[in-house]
Amino acid sequence: MNCMNPIDAAVLADYWLALLSSSEEDALELHLLDCDDCGQRLREMIVLADGVRKLAREGSVRMIVSDVFLQRAAEGGVKVREYLVPVGGSVECTVTAEDNILIGRLTANLAGADRVDICICNENGVEQLRMPDIPVHSGTTSIACQESIRIMKAAPSSKMIMKLVTFDDKGSEQTLGEYAFNHTRSMPGPGAW
Amino acid sequence: MNIELNDVELVLQIGAGDHAAEAELFRRMAPRIRLYGLRHLRNESAAEDLTQMVMITTLESLRARRLREPEKLAAFVLGTCRMTVMDLRRSTQRKERILEKFGTDLLKPASFSMPPLDHDRLERCVQNLRERERSVVVMTFYDEQTGADVANFLGVSEPNLRVIRHRAIHDLRKCMEGAA
Repeated sequence: MNCMNPIDAAVLADYWLALLSSSEEDALELHLLDCDDCGQRLREMIVLADGVRKLAREGSVRMIVSDVFLQRAAEGGVKVREYLVPVGGSVECTVTAEDNILIGRLTANLAGADRVDICICNENGVEQLRMPDIPVHSGTTSIACQESIRIMKAAPSSKMIMKLVTFDDKGSEQTLGEYAFNHTRSMPGPGAW
Repeated sequence: MNIELNDVELVLQIGAGDHAAEAELFRRMAPRIRLYGLRHLRNESAAEDLTQMVMITTLESLRARRLREPEKLAAFVLGTCRMTVMDLRRSTQRKERILEKFGTDLLKPASFSMPPLDHDRLERCVQNLRERERSVVVMTFYDEQTGADVANFLGVSEPNLRVIRHRAIHDLRKCMEGAA
């Protein structure tokens, strides 16, 4: 059977997430009760959604998260370890076997900043990785950056510097803040990478 | 059984007492009903219950030739799904009664396997998404946050959020299929 009007994968995702209007949902459900091709693609989307949910629960993705996300994760029994760092400040940090999600919360004044990047630097301030155009808006006073807990559970004791940067009208980079994380390994493992 | 029968032919044959046609209807419709159940009940066992109950109601109607427009089989099944979900939410007792009446032979769980997923690849693909898209996809799929929650976090409208989410899902699927 070949579907003549295959439903877009993103619309199937919206259906699974109950984000469609009732009329859109009605039409889609009628189609699904008559089409095994789209049913199979919905199954693929369900599996993908479950996989992403598992990744989120494991805290293994580096990303910016919302307070609502962290609140719901904690309510769902996920153990969140969070370190708040002021602009120019540093924090002594670690991660234990019981932790599920690791957050570095960067305080910041983002007024007027259209685009904000996070630069992840080594202890000498040399950039190792950049998270460009992170999802924040100008009213934000702190940014919750989730680090992969799987990586941090394996990481040796080390210092990491995060920099928040924005760009002026001419495209020149402007530093909004620097934040130092002095990580002490508290789990057994090698002393260095 | 000729599985090439279309829905109309299937309905007519069931009305004529053809048990093979009933089996074919079950094979064809049960996985679709189960998907509906998963979406609305969010529970595999409940989705299986729904499948059995909808199939029973549908077979009863078709045997009694109560479906006046056989070409509207899908619409009839969808309506039955909706009514049954409401029933299931009210009570689970009816299931036991109808299972007693029909027995369990016809109503064994439908073959319904989910496709496999390469979790390592998924992790790489999620990490390869743009920052904004990664946050939207993960926060939306985790705990199924509403569009309003995520839109508020990003400081964008819900239609804009939908654009971001759809782009992210397409990118993710392309990456999972090895095209990106």
